[in-house]
This record gives sequence, structure tokens and C-alpha cells, in this order.
Amino acid sequence: MTAAAQLALLFVGAALVNNILLTRFIGLCPFFGVSSSMSTSIGMSLAVVFVMTLASGATWMAWKFILSPLGVGEFLYIPAFILIIAALVQFVEMYLKKASPVLYRAMGIYLPLITTNCAVLATATESAKPGFFKMNIALGSSLGLGEALVYTVGVSVGFGFALLTFAALRERLEAAPVPEALKGAPIAFITAGLLSFAYVGFAGWFGL
Amino acid sequence: MKHLMQVFVRGITRENPLMILMIGLCATLAVSTQFQGAVFMGIAVIFVLTMSNAIISVFRRFIPDEVRIPMFIVVIASFVTIVDLVMKAFVPSVYAFLGIWIPLIVVNCIILGRAEAFAYHNGVLASIADGLGMGIGYTAVIVLFAFVRELFGSGAVKFLGATLVGLPSWYPAPAVVLLFPGAFVLFGLFLALWRALVSRVGEERGVCR
Repeated sequence: MTAAAQLALLFVGAALVNNILLTRFIGLCPFFGVSSSMSTSIGMSLAVVFVMTLASGATWMAWKFILSPLGVGEFLYIPAFILIIAALVQFVEMYLKKASPVLYRAMGIYLPLITTNCAVLATATESAKPGFFKMNIALGSSLGLGEALVYTVGVSVGFGFALLTFAALRERLEAAPVPEALKGAPIAFITAGLLSFAYVGFAGWFGL
Repeated sequence: MKHLMQVFVRGITRENPLMILMIGLCATLAVSTQFQGAVFMGIAVIFVLTMSNAIISVFRRFIPDEVRIPMFIVVIASFVTIVDLVMKAFVPSVYAFLGIWIPLIVVNCIILGRAEAFAYHNGVLASIADGLGMGIGYTAVIVLFAFVRELFGSGAVKFLGATLVGLPSWYPAPAVVLLFPGAFVLFGLFLALWRALVSRVGEERGVCR
């Protein structure tokens, strides 16, 4: 397989076959928290694509050039990665506020929430630290920087896609006659379950 | 003493983190395919939650308001690292199953949420009681949920190699219970049942989503 085809496979695998929200349950808090309307979901998705890609690049370099050569990675990677992400989010917020007010208005209020979003930490850890990446694709034991970035963009696009579909379903759900006991969160979970049934169909695509 | 007991029980019933506060759901759905994994996940969360609550409560007067969140995260990350290394060394099969979910305890909303909402404003003993109560409330739900999923999804519940309960062999064991749609649908039903039988309080959210 050519390198380009492999990267394309990695992208599809990350976005659809191993969808981070609906098949792996990572990042469910924003999934249920902000998905009640379309506009907030769009802002959140944008912010996630942006921050996740930056975070993966940053943690990959931190692992490769600092943590791994110094031999402290095994026991420092958790605090190091979470602090890198927190600092990065803070800088991005300050920079956007000054440099691009339009972009800041679109996703600014979601940025602080993302620091504690497990999807960002999970993807950054999988990209950077060998041993966590579990997809059935021949890439060796650890990802290169390019592969890590393609993987992360795939994951975040899959995140946004699932979030937007679910937000659309929930807007419709507002008007639906739901049994008293299932109102609110329970019916949201059952709807998410039905949506994730669709992702069972992606399992096994291209042998992923 | 009575007050401590109240704080402790509240975490299990009236303010159960999973059923009522609805935080820390990701790991619950993901690791509940296996009873054994859920038990160890629960133990890990009880440990991290109680220890971080205690430490943050001890130092609450020295933590400046502006940098409290990063400081909470560093405290929590230290305890998660302890869990990470201990599990890797002593229960490698469980560690392999839980995988990414161990480092993700750092961003589990329950732990940061309790640090912010409780430990930062209360005494050490009360914070420990809160940590234990919330941790046990979490563990009770996740273990029960995993028990149901493993029993009806695979036909038998195993723990450290021994079969605890088994269904008769004519039971078809539908794989969908163990697949991801099953987790969502069953959790929705679980939530509805809990709210009907145990307690019913409005949803509220803390610092994190």
C-alpha cells in the first residue's frame, strides 16, 4: 500500500470506523452537554478540531524531544500532557482574542471547556505515547508526526460529525412525545444508542 | 460525625455522580463491557478521588484562586500516575483492558468537580467523606452496570479467571449488549429506572462538561 493510501485509511478509520464519540465513548460530556442546539455544536466542533490538532502536535514533540530522551516519560506523561494542553488552550484563547475576533466569537467560550475534555487528552496521548494507539493498521508501534496529525484531524472531524448529527436529532426530539420516565437524559442516551447503531455498519470497512 | 455520615451517603444516593449529576460518563460506558475491569476502574477512582480531595482540602488556604484549576490538575495527575504504574506492575491484564482510560481519570469530571465544588471549601475529614461517598457511588453504579452487561452480553460474569455467575447454555447471549449501541441504550434505561426507584433530583453541572 502506498503511503498516501495508508494515510487516507488512517483518516477514515479515525473519523468513522473508530468514531471517538459513538464507538469509543471518549468525550461524552460535551456530547450531551452542548448538543442541545445546532449553533453551539458548530462552535464546539470547530474549537475541538483546532485545539486537538495543536495539542497532538505539541505532545508528540514533547514526548519525542523531551520526555523520551530524558527517560522520564513513563511516569511524567500524564501531568506533562495535561499541562501542555491547558497552557496551549490558554495561549490560543489569548491569541484569538487579539488576532481574530471573528474566530474568537465563534468558538471562544468553548475553549476553556476543552482543557478538561477527555477527547483531547486521549487523542494527544494516543498520538504521542507509544502503546496507546490501537487501530488495526500497519504503522509500527508508534506514530510519526505526520501520521499523528492525520490521525488527530480524522478523530476531530469524526467528533464534529457525530456531534452535529446528534444535535440535529435532539432538536427534533424537543417536539417528540416522550414517556414521562424517559424524559431528559434517558431518552438522549437511547437516541445516541440508535445513532451509534449506524456506526456498527462501518465496522470492518477496509479491514479496519 | 452525623454530618460526615450525611456527606458520605449523599454521594451514593441523592447526588450520585453518574445517575444524578451525570458527570464522568465516558469511562462508565466504555469499561462496562467487563465486570472485572469495572471493579478495578471503581477502585482507581475511589483512590484518586479520596486522596486528591484530602490533599486539596489540606492546602485549600494556600491555593490562590486564579491558579486553582491547574493546581488541582497537578495534584490529581500525581495520584493518577500512582494508579497507572501500580496497575501496570501488578495487574497487567486489567491494565491492558483499561488502556487509555487510566490516564483519562485525570480529566474525569467527577474528580475535578469535587475538588472545585467540595474539597476547596471544606475541612479535611468532610472532604475525605465526600471523596469516599462519591467514589463508592460511582463504583456501585459502574459495577452493577458492567455486571448486567457482561451477564446478558456474554452469558457469564468472570472475575480474575473464575466464573461468578453463568446463564444456562440455551441463552443466546446477544452481542449487541456488549457492542457500543447496547451501552447507550442500556444506560438510558438504567438511568430511567434509577430515577424512578432510588432518587429523583434535577440535573446540575459543575465546572466541567
